[in-house]
Amino acid sequence: MWTSGDVEVWRRGDELFARKGERVERMFAAVAGDVTWVFHDGVTYRIEAPSAGRRRGPQSHGSLSSPMPATVVSVQVAPGDTVTVGQTLIVLEAMKMELPVRAPGDGRVKSVNCKAGDLVQPDVSLIDFE
Amino acid sequence: MAIRRLLIANRGEIAVRIARACRELGVEAVAIYSDRDADAPHVRAADRAVRVGPAAPAESYLNIGAIVDAARTSGADAVHPGYGFLSERAAFAKACTDAGLIFVGPPASAIDAMGSKIGARRLIERAGVPVVPGQTPADQTDAGIEAAARAVGFPVLIKASAGGGGKGMRIARDGSSLAESIPAARREAQAAFGDGTLYVERLIERPRHIEIQVFADAHGHAVHLFERDCSVQRRHQKVIEESPSPALTPALRERMGAAAVAAALACGYQNAGTIEFLLDGRGDAGRFYFLEMNTRLQVEHPVTESVTGTDLVRAQLHVAAGGALPWAQADLTQRGHAIECRVYAEDPANGFLPQAGPLLVYREPAGPGIRVDSGVEQGAEVPVQYDPMLAKLIASGEHRAAAIARAVAALRRFPILGVRTNVAFLVNVLRHPAFAAGDVQTSFIDDHLDDLLDAPAPSDAVMAAAAFARESPSATAAAPAAAADPWRDLRGWGR
Repeated sequence: MWTSGDVEVWRRGDELFARKGERVERMFAAVAGDVTWVFHDGVTYRIEAPSAGRRRGPQSHGSLSSPMPATVVSVQVAPGDTVTVGQTLIVLEAMKMELPVRAPGDGRVKSVNCKAGDLVQPDVSLIDFE
Repeated sequence: MAIRRLLIANRGEIAVRIARACRELGVEAVAIYSDRDADAPHVRAADRAVRVGPAAPAESYLNIGAIVDAARTSGADAVHPGYGFLSERAAFAKACTDAGLIFVGPPASAIDAMGSKIGARRLIERAGVPVVPGQTPADQTDAGIEAAARAVGFPVLIKASAGGGGKGMRIARDGSSLAESIPAARREAQAAFGDGTLYVERLIERPRHIEIQVFADAHGHAVHLFERDCSVQRRHQKVIEESPSPALTPALRERMGAAAVAAALACGYQNAGTIEFLLDGRGDAGRFYFLEMNTRLQVEHPVTESVTGTDLVRAQLHVAAGGALPWAQADLTQRGHAIECRVYAEDPANGFLPQAGPLLVYREPAGPGIRVDSGVEQGAEVPVQYDPMLAKLIASGEHRAAAIARAVAALRRFPILGVRTNVAFLVNVLRHPAFAAGDVQTSFIDDHLDDLLDAPAPSDAVMAAAAFARESPSATAAAPAAAADPWRDLRGWGR
């Protein structure tokens, strides 16, 4: 069982079930590299990771941004902090789901450009790295 | 002479379907395969399998010499060509019979006669079957073409006599546009085919595509097994087929059936075949015109099997072995309604571009009135070398609305992940008000494309499932790539 916001998700083989209140949705999901496929009610969703060109290397540098309009739930680092790969930096909420923004690599935070409650737009820098 | 061992000269779902008929009849099935298909479902569905060449169709499934050799060495006494590949090559039918093999299909002479558009048209006209009015005037001057257009009747299509593909084709709705369109069509025909000879044909606007299944034996008997309405097409390829057609009345059905039987007898046909017609209008006032004959089993034959309660492949083997037709015309009736949906690996939003890739998840729906004919399975790869059709879903019910409802419900439970497919598109077609009303011409998909491409944005539940799938990949549905930060992978979604 796994929870994201008010949606509970669990798996039986290839089948996934998502419960939101009384509604239970049956889905299928599969992961292939950067693409996550989800089938629900006759529709297949192809959910893609960022293109290779935008992917960061093992070191955090440059900046991190949100790919879609989202609300900042919390900011867990401050300028000057040293972060390690995978560390949660910011928690965003979009599509009624909480999603952690994690450090794509080791690095040092130069500036934080948002605060809890902010509505942030795509491609606006949230955190700059040294 | 009964068939004991049948070589199936095809691959994919049709080879699997023919092997099933063999199993039911106690006939041994011999599969052929290319290097790409050594472990394909159609190979495992057969009792024996023979390699015929590399992946490229020209070197394997189109390789007449290798296939006839495979039939000989495996001790087969008959060959079924399926559809596509060599099924309409007179040379293949002849090579089989020359090698002492029964060809499960018409005689090579009938394939030849119906293979030439001009020859078929002449033959069919003589049999009293209507053809689209048209002529290639001997007088090819502007005045001669204009006279032909008036004789044929407006609106007309002026096109290159030498070729197709829309090149050198002009529509003239009345005499006023001829002065411009005749020279333009001639120039284009000359440029495209090196031959400016023009053909003038009556333009059938917004026709339906209706075809009649025919069956003939070696004893001079022929019957028809009613119609299939195949008007839902894209790029001249059928997507949905059904029977009965919402456009036919009993009187029109009888006229079309009789015309199809006359056409089959005229070319000395044997075995299963299909006469395709264009239908102008609907009901008793509808006018139909011969389009072409398909001298083989059709992709959409299960529609006919469902409404007539027959097994066409079984009947094909029986008739090919010299048996009499298993039915008289009076034995045959249409019962209920059947709809076939062709499930393709393609991207409807991108010009229906064929897709190749791994089938990470592939689960066929089942239930009353649902038949799925397929030649793919979960874990396999959709190859780039062959047709992108994955499966045919055939739904039947007591009437058209029931069959549509069953098809929709089944498609909504037909998960295919790893390649883009047209499943959502098919659901949109079946749910479209014009389709529900039976108001479908061959332009249906173009007319309603925006509606048909409509797709919902992913819901919370879908996004949560995607994130979950990345966090905890299943043993079967995950490709080798490691799961990573779900947030990274939620950047942008497509469909």
